[in-house]
Amino acid sequence: MVHNMIGLKKKKRVIPGFGISMGITMTFLSLIVLIPMVSIVITSSKMDITQFLQIITDPRIVAGFRVSLISALIAALINCAFGVLIAWVLVRYDFPMKRVVDGIIELPFALPTAVAGIALTALYSNNGWIGGFFAQFGIAISYTQTGIILAMIFVGIPFVVRSIQPVLEKLDPKYEEAASILGAGRGTIFFRVIFPEIMPAMLTGFGLAFARAVGEYGSVIFIAGNTPFKTEIVPLLIMSQLEQFNYEAATAIALVMLIISFAILFFINSIQVYASKFSKG
Amino acid sequence: MNIKKNGIQILLISIAVLFLFVMLILPLAVVLTKAISDGWAVYAAALSDEYTIKALSLTMQATVVAVVVNTAFGLFAAWTITKYHFKGKQLMTTLIDIPFAISPIIAGLIFSLTFGRMGWANGIEDLLNIKIIFAVPGIIMATIFVTSPFITRELIPVLNAQGTEEEEAAALMGASGFTIFRKVTFPHIKWALLYGIILCTARALGEFGAVSVISGHLRGKTNTLPLHVEILYNEYQFTAAFAVASILVIMAVLVLILRNIVEYMGKKEGIKDVS
Amino acid sequence: MYLELNNINKNFGSYQASKEVSFGVEKGKLIGLLGPSGSGKTTILRMIAGLESPDSGDIILDGVKINDVAPSERGIGFVFQSYALFRYMTVYDNIAFGLQIQKKKKSFIKDRVTELISLIGLEGLEKRYPHQLSGGQRQRIAFARALAPNPQLLLLDEPFAAVDAKVRLELRSWLRKMIDRLGITSIFVTHDQDEAIEVADEIIVTNNGKIEQIGSPIEIYRNPDTPFVAQFIGQSSVLKNHVELIGFENTEKDLNAVIRPEYLSVYKIGEQKQYQLALEDGIVESVFYRGSYLEMQIRVKGMLLTANRSLTEAEIKVGEAVKVLIYRIYLFDDQSTYLALNQAIDDKDMFYI
Repeated sequence: MVHNMIGLKKKKRVIPGFGISMGITMTFLSLIVLIPMVSIVITSSKMDITQFLQIITDPRIVAGFRVSLISALIAALINCAFGVLIAWVLVRYDFPMKRVVDGIIELPFALPTAVAGIALTALYSNNGWIGGFFAQFGIAISYTQTGIILAMIFVGIPFVVRSIQPVLEKLDPKYEEAASILGAGRGTIFFRVIFPEIMPAMLTGFGLAFARAVGEYGSVIFIAGNTPFKTEIVPLLIMSQLEQFNYEAATAIALVMLIISFAILFFINSIQVYASKFSKG
Repeated sequence: MNIKKNGIQILLISIAVLFLFVMLILPLAVVLTKAISDGWAVYAAALSDEYTIKALSLTMQATVVAVVVNTAFGLFAAWTITKYHFKGKQLMTTLIDIPFAISPIIAGLIFSLTFGRMGWANGIEDLLNIKIIFAVPGIIMATIFVTSPFITRELIPVLNAQGTEEEEAAALMGASGFTIFRKVTFPHIKWALLYGIILCTARALGEFGAVSVISGHLRGKTNTLPLHVEILYNEYQFTAAFAVASILVIMAVLVLILRNIVEYMGKKEGIKDVS
Repeated sequence: MYLELNNINKNFGSYQASKEVSFGVEKGKLIGLLGPSGSGKTTILRMIAGLESPDSGDIILDGVKINDVAPSERGIGFVFQSYALFRYMTVYDNIAFGLQIQKKKKSFIKDRVTELISLIGLEGLEKRYPHQLSGGQRQRIAFARALAPNPQLLLLDEPFAAVDAKVRLELRSWLRKMIDRLGITSIFVTHDQDEAIEVADEIIVTNNGKIEQIGSPIEIYRNPDTPFVAQFIGQSSVLKNHVELIGFENTEKDLNAVIRPEYLSVYKIGEQKQYQLALEDGIVESVFYRGSYLEMQIRVKGMLLTANRSLTEAEIKVGEAVKVLIYRIYLFDDQSTYLALNQAIDDKDMFYI
């Protein structure tokens, strides 16, 4: 903060009020974000490496990561496929109630996660509307990994759709016209011309959906069943450690999760840098 | 070729609509159906239950405080980032985004670590003679934390697209910072700000993971509405749980409608991208 | 005629883009569709390609009516104004695209693409992506891509509009040479007269959705059929009182009159010994340097005329009193144009453009 104040003296800014704005912003930022975040650093540094490794290589924890990551991956992939489809349908076609369909996409953002959690559990339980149907064939959904995946799909729906929609909307029709005149049919045009153009947006949406799914608590916790080694997700593991006041263990697991989140963020950023090369110049 | 095109169109539209119906609409329907499955009397009783009302009030409190605080924060932060050049801008933007990127459980963990029994800032509790963890202030702080990026994220793209020329012109004519903001900048960001406030409110109302960690689940004292739903559900009071959940469903639908209206109004006024 | 358009009409809502458009193109010719923005020329091109459908009328290519044939099956090559190169494919893949659709063998494709790449002079750039290339290079690749599947007709939509001025001139002559070499029937759209005149065998002038005139560049230039063509082609200025000009007193007063710089000469006093009776007095109001010649505006009898003067001749300055010799003017009414020669000059004197 002091460093920035020195900068203020060296360079004159046209728009007034830098000092106050920066000051208030930094105060807020520190109180709301920085100071709390510091706790992770402090607690982590109190741990030594062996302790850390012991915690995160515990079989139950590893199983939890496996369940969370694989489920989130499958959910994000499914969201990619449907996200492309939904974005395509919303941008390219007209049909009755299209505005309504477009409007409900953000439901997973607007609906409290706990409500989504109990609703999905009820819907897919053995006597639920959908769960009951599958129960006839001996297929259980709630309290299995399938249920986890479904909940993760729910929370990720808006990400891929809303990432791809603007790209499709702005896509110059000339590329498709050129391909058409060169003899390409609709399928070829989609896969060879349109898909590469929306791929970066799709990957961004995938990354966001994946990150959200891994960290999601409320929507997943009810339908998961929380059987150790089978349907425990990482946020739950952190929660249980906290309930037993094992702060170090909780922090260790959280650290791994944070590393994964930042890796995903970095991945998303790289895609966007890579893609912007092609569309500029 | 026209006929074939229509066939594929219809198929794709149907799949998309079916998917959305099953994934989004059915869950809502389940809540509402189960809420009134034991009749309206039970429904009304669940809603007017003392703990429900206390939970509703706490949720409202936290939401209002979070929205007010984050609106102020959002305005200052977005203004600072978009109207000035300084080192570390990218870092600041990343920091602001952090609460958005991390799991709510981790958010709760962070506050526990800071103010909990073993936390390094635990002394503050005694100092200010208030409890933070397992008490209302903690809940409010956690809510502020998880909703903090929303308004900034909406304002920054709009302000960036607008550029700094208008403000610079006003500054050169001698206008003070606050006047510049009020007369030059604000008209541009009206709709984005409103949009951000709506998103922030929705998130605050629904916050569950973070407050779950630090609330202590004390009925009537530290329960927000979503936590209350969880408790009822875990006690197998399903109908009551869904009844309370239905309040949140109605709020969510209202949020969606408001969001769409604001987005529409924003687009009408020529603002390119409110979302 | 290799390509025929008969009575084509096209409306976009209430806007009529094409009105009774009819023309024919001979095989192997390079035709320029010339007209101002919004005159309907791009619409005509897009209808030939199949990207738009005419509301009425026929399009016939090599004896076959192609109105209902899909663009992907017409065997036409199209070069877009903004190139529309596939951004996520290499140069090689872009050019190979049409051949891959035709399911040609890999070896055949390789030979053909390599041949085209050397034809357009971009050897070594096969693995580059469009964003790594200059505008001129991209335009040539767009050209190669359109040619690769051996189309029977090549269409170009303002191919040089998005390119720098200097590169434009180079590309223009390059295009002419290429098309000559390949002998492919081609139509290109432009709003730039110089381009049309330099490149095309024949020019079709469009205005407001209608065809104004079809002819060789020289015909269009020398003998405009309609008032629009008379004013659009060349640097024309309108004369208000043409009957006051020496040698034109007997022309009809009520017609509109238009003159071009080529149809008059400006002289310093005493420079021009002949035709003394035909010379007008004028005052130079402004002089502009145009790179290879001087352009000046001269006030004659209250009318402002534009004349060009070579840089090798003696300098004429602003404000100078000069003599002006007017050879011809165009007169026109609603239907057609008439050429009027200066009666005060002997018939035997020829005038060359």
